[in-house]
Amino acid sequence: MKLSEILTPRRIALDLKARTKEEVLEELVRLLKLSSPARKALLRTLTAREELGSTSVGGGVAIPHCRSLVVSKVLVAVGLSRRGINFRSPDRKRVFLFFLIFAPLVGNPGEYLVVLGSVAQAAKVLARDRRIKKVKTARDFIKLVKELEK
Amino acid sequence: MNPQLQLLIALQDILSLIREARDPSQKRALGKMGFKLTNLEALEQSREDLESQLSPAIRSQYARAKKRYGRIVAPVINGICYGCFVKIPSAIDTAEDRNQTLYRCENCGMFLFWVEK
Ligand SMILES: [Zn+2]
Repeated sequence: MKLSEILTPRRIALDLKARTKEEVLEELVRLLKLSSPARKALLRTLTAREELGSTSVGGGVAIPHCRSLVVSKVLVAVGLSRRGINFRSPDRKRVFLFFLIFAPLVGNPGEYLVVLGSVAQAAKVLARDRRIKKVKTARDFIKLVKELEK
Repeated sequence: MNPQLQLLIALQDILSLIREARDPSQKRALGKMGFKLTNLEALEQSREDLESQLSPAIRSQYARAKKRYGRIVAPVINGICYGCFVKIPSAIDTAEDRNQTLYRCENCGMFLFWVEK
């Protein structure tokens, strides 16, 4: 699975307004344009997932994720924070690149782990590339992801 | 949405998270990606807090389903209960008050949640 294939321009925010961990989770979930009950349920489960341990993988990247009853397919959103956010990272670095991933509860957990693994790998490569800070549009962001996939 | 159903959904998601964190192979796979699942106690606490908010009648049905299946809420997709893969009677599947009223599957007894497309 390629990351570029599951990205949608309208689910990419290149200038997140959030300043805290709670705010950034909310802003990312809003990008998915779900109903209010679904949004609230997902935020609740995401918050529980963060209780288990931060989803920051270091190097300025976080991948908030969970499986949930309220989604019927894999949903992905991306956010860039210009100032970075304290996300209780293991390396204590501020996080500037966020990938949000939701997967349905039904279905193969192996498949979900494959998606998560591919995103984690691609996100780390992306965060190390200097061009990421200069991306101006969501389409350029996807273009950069594609280039790095080659 | 029915407030008790909202609680049940939160509980179902948390139960799955707990199961994931306890499964050695999933835990290993997630660890390799850089995710550490360390604070299981906090999650168990959240589960207990949510359970205490269930009404007594629902709590006993919840406890029974949890004990029997390890799961409590089944998603309904295209009219099928994904708890037992049996078709839901169409009068219920098309009811206006689905997700507003708490329905249970007549076959497996799990609470039903109609997923948005
Ligand atoms: Zn059933």
